[in-house]
Amino acid sequence: MTDPRVTGAARYAEDLEADGMLHARIVRSPYPHARVVAVDVSAVPAGCAVLVPEDVRDLGRYGIQIRDQSVLAERARHVGDPVAAVAAESPRVAEEAAAAVVVDYEELPAALDVLDAVRPEAPLVHDGHELASTGAAYFGLRPQQGTNVCHHFRIRDGDAEAALREADVVVEQTFTVAGAQHAPMEPHACLARWKSGRLEVLTGTQTPFNLREELAGIFGLEPEQVRVVCRPMGGSFGAKTFLRTEAIAAALARKAGRPVKLVLPRTEEWVTLNRHPAVVRVELGARADGTLTAARIECWADTGAYADSGPGVVQKMGFAAPGPYRIPNVAVDAYCVYTNLPPNGAFRGYGQMQSTWARERAIDLLADRLGLDPLELRLKNVLREGDRYCTGETMHDVHYAECLERAAAAIGWHEDRRGKGLSVILKGMQTPSRAAVAVEDNGDGTYVVRCATTEMGQGAIHAITLLAAELLGVEPERVSFPAPDTDTAPYDTRTTSSRSTYMMARALEEAVRDLRANGGARGYGEVANAGGLDPETGAGVASTHWHQAASGAEVRVDEETGKLEVLRLHAAVYAGRVVNRPAAELQNEGSMIMGLGSALFEEVVYRDGQVVNPNFSDYAIPSAADLPVQISHELLEAEGAEIHGLGETALPPVPPAIGNAVAALGLELFDLPMTPERVCEAIERRVGVRA
Amino acid sequence: MRAEHGDDATVVAGGTFVGIMVNQRLLAPPAFLSLRDVPGLDHVRANGELRLGAMTTHRAVELSSAVREGWPALAATFGVVASARVRNQATVGGVLADADHASDPPSMLLALGARAVARSVRGEREIPIEDLIVDFYSTSLEPDELLVEVRVPGGAHRAVYRKFRSRSHEDRPAVGVAACRRGDELRVVVGAVAGRPQWFPDLCAVASDPAEVAHAYAEAIDPISDVSGSSGYRRRVIAVEVRRALEELA
Repeated sequence: MTDPRVTGAARYAEDLEADGMLHARIVRSPYPHARVVAVDVSAVPAGCAVLVPEDVRDLGRYGIQIRDQSVLAERARHVGDPVAAVAAESPRVAEEAAAAVVVDYEELPAALDVLDAVRPEAPLVHDGHELASTGAAYFGLRPQQGTNVCHHFRIRDGDAEAALREADVVVEQTFTVAGAQHAPMEPHACLARWKSGRLEVLTGTQTPFNLREELAGIFGLEPEQVRVVCRPMGGSFGAKTFLRTEAIAAALARKAGRPVKLVLPRTEEWVTLNRHPAVVRVELGARADGTLTAARIECWADTGAYADSGPGVVQKMGFAAPGPYRIPNVAVDAYCVYTNLPPNGAFRGYGQMQSTWARERAIDLLADRLGLDPLELRLKNVLREGDRYCTGETMHDVHYAECLERAAAAIGWHEDRRGKGLSVILKGMQTPSRAAVAVEDNGDGTYVVRCATTEMGQGAIHAITLLAAELLGVEPERVSFPAPDTDTAPYDTRTTSSRSTYMMARALEEAVRDLRANGGARGYGEVANAGGLDPETGAGVASTHWHQAASGAEVRVDEETGKLEVLRLHAAVYAGRVVNRPAAELQNEGSMIMGLGSALFEEVVYRDGQVVNPNFSDYAIPSAADLPVQISHELLEAEGAEIHGLGETALPPVPPAIGNAVAALGLELFDLPMTPERVCEAIERRVGVRA
Repeated sequence: MRAEHGDDATVVAGGTFVGIMVNQRLLAPPAFLSLRDVPGLDHVRANGELRLGAMTTHRAVELSSAVREGWPALAATFGVVASARVRNQATVGGVLADADHASDPPSMLLALGARAVARSVRGEREIPIEDLIVDFYSTSLEPDELLVEVRVPGGAHRAVYRKFRSRSHEDRPAVGVAACRRGDELRVVVGAVAGRPQWFPDLCAVASDPAEVAHAYAEAIDPISDVSGSSGYRRRVIAVEVRRALEELA
């Protein structure tokens, strides 16, 4: 098979060309919080289109959960906030033109730390919280008006306070996770043009219909007057969700009367979207025999200057925080907090990693306190078939114990526990969710599948083609799956949260059944999963089904320099049923390596609101040479089981498995990444090596 | 041309460093002066002493059998820079002339007693590496001078380079230690911790116990703090890695 991505024939958004096209460049704020007093464009070369805040004042605000963003900022809320934009005949002239725009700012006090930002005296990043309650990606939010907290999600199940008072043993610890950059190979890129009042945007996006809705709202159009055509993405990992650069390109195209292409320079990726840094405080209570009785967890997630999908990320961070354990008394408070840092949003796993790191490390602290084997403690408390979760859901198709046992066996846990660690996770899928697909019969034995599932390298095209071919009873070569286009694909929510294969498989079954039944040229299938949580109590349906995984790690530490070496890393992931084995295995591997990066190296470093390492020279991602000596994984299946998404599941358990392995050497680390310097600090703190 | 354009024309060899500087907008020269097509600058000649042309790539030094035979630690040092792809591009002249503190080869070249050859319309001169790199991104080259060659003394010696990375394998050094013993002379050079490679001849002259020398170096250096590690942490690593280098050398 000649994959166009391998031969170089694939045309990404960055490769697009259109007649008369101009190239855009964004002018960005150098201050974390400042009012734009004046924009002087007199030095911009003739022939360039220039967009200043005045030009976009008539446009609508956007934001999928909170409408807190305008196309250009009149009050810049983070370093890198777009305050003007230019379009020119070439990227080079555009760069010169952008440099010629002179902006006069009035600096304002800034909130640069998540814990400072929740103090009563903190400067407010936004004056109020305008909910996007009519949007497709909206769910019930609990903003705290007059504060920087734009969503406060809670779980209240049982009485955690009382249970902690009565517990034989309580462990309490605060953990942190650094911000991270998605680092897709291809930066954000799009091309926008207007055709007789209709806006057409070609872009690399995971969310074509959400993007269409946002653009329609901004430009005062009906959704049908906006066409979003997806280009294949050179990686995304959540970076290309919702509206990113498309509105600026569209507004420039409107002003210039010509198509405009916008490709972000690499360094601007770090001010466009990163992963939420978080502070997580965990208290666990247990009986002397190791039975968990209570969990009280608080998460403060830094969403940066704009909410974006932060409330959703934080809710997921919160509802997964107690983990796959039977805990009768649970209290969770998860806060989505504005700061004057660049926005943070969806990142492979959607908040899962942050609370998992804290909880799984705390479970090992508890095991240490109780003098129990961390595996035994987990197996004693782990959720089993038919158990109730703290949201009130009954858990089915439960495989946590099996995942744990496999992970333990893979690292030789039972022979010797020195330098070895385990972790286990439960992870929600986007719920509620809906997916639709159309299958067209060309009449010559070939078929076309139309849906909004997008390709970002995860193999969605291949998986869906295989599923459709199987259902239609034809060879995969006879099924084509063109890039999603909102003009022809049926409406869908989004390609996020490892839900595409699962949802699309079911919608495809319906569509093929419909095609057969109506005997026509087009069959249509749609599935919807109901659910959602009460943000006040956490009761409801968090997830249609749960992603389940465990990880095991073995490490060695150079105690003189603190340098950590991962010798073995294993992930056992529950797949239900595997659709495309090579692709599923690659998802596991990719997730584990990304988890390794978060565990050991990756950190967006801010100083006075500036990102100090916005390039691959100063921001380290893992290279092939950084892989553990032995890296392995397995996919667990069950007879007749549903398909489970796999795109993200093996990432969150990796950092705590490594952290627990380091703890087994007597070195307690609470902050990610686990740099050699932090390991040295743990060496200084060490009181004794664990048995 | 350089004499004509002065500082306005930035000399480019492999472009790996200049590329980063331009991307980060730390450098926006109106003109580049590429050496790519200038003949006679990419030689590796070993005849008693080693002569490396300024346009010789890191990869060529790393793989050269002559270098591996006569100066194995130097070949190894060029071999631990970044990734093979970068090493195919980055040059011997470039890594010295850019004077980037977080580089591996300059410390090793200094430890080996190498000299750079600078040429201009006025003539040619040799500059010892310790006099070439004066501070962060700053050399003693005159604006009209071009670094054309590096000369490394031959003869019996033992040398070792230890690269300590605090993050990824492809990362630049957080601390780099080069040590060379030639007869009675010991040179210990620590790179990536300050504006220029750190060499203390006095501390080397009285060298006896590796741990003592290492401790003295850690005391003498005032290390920088950056994303690769704080000053205090670097000091700790200097003490460890200098000792390990000397132990390897023994």
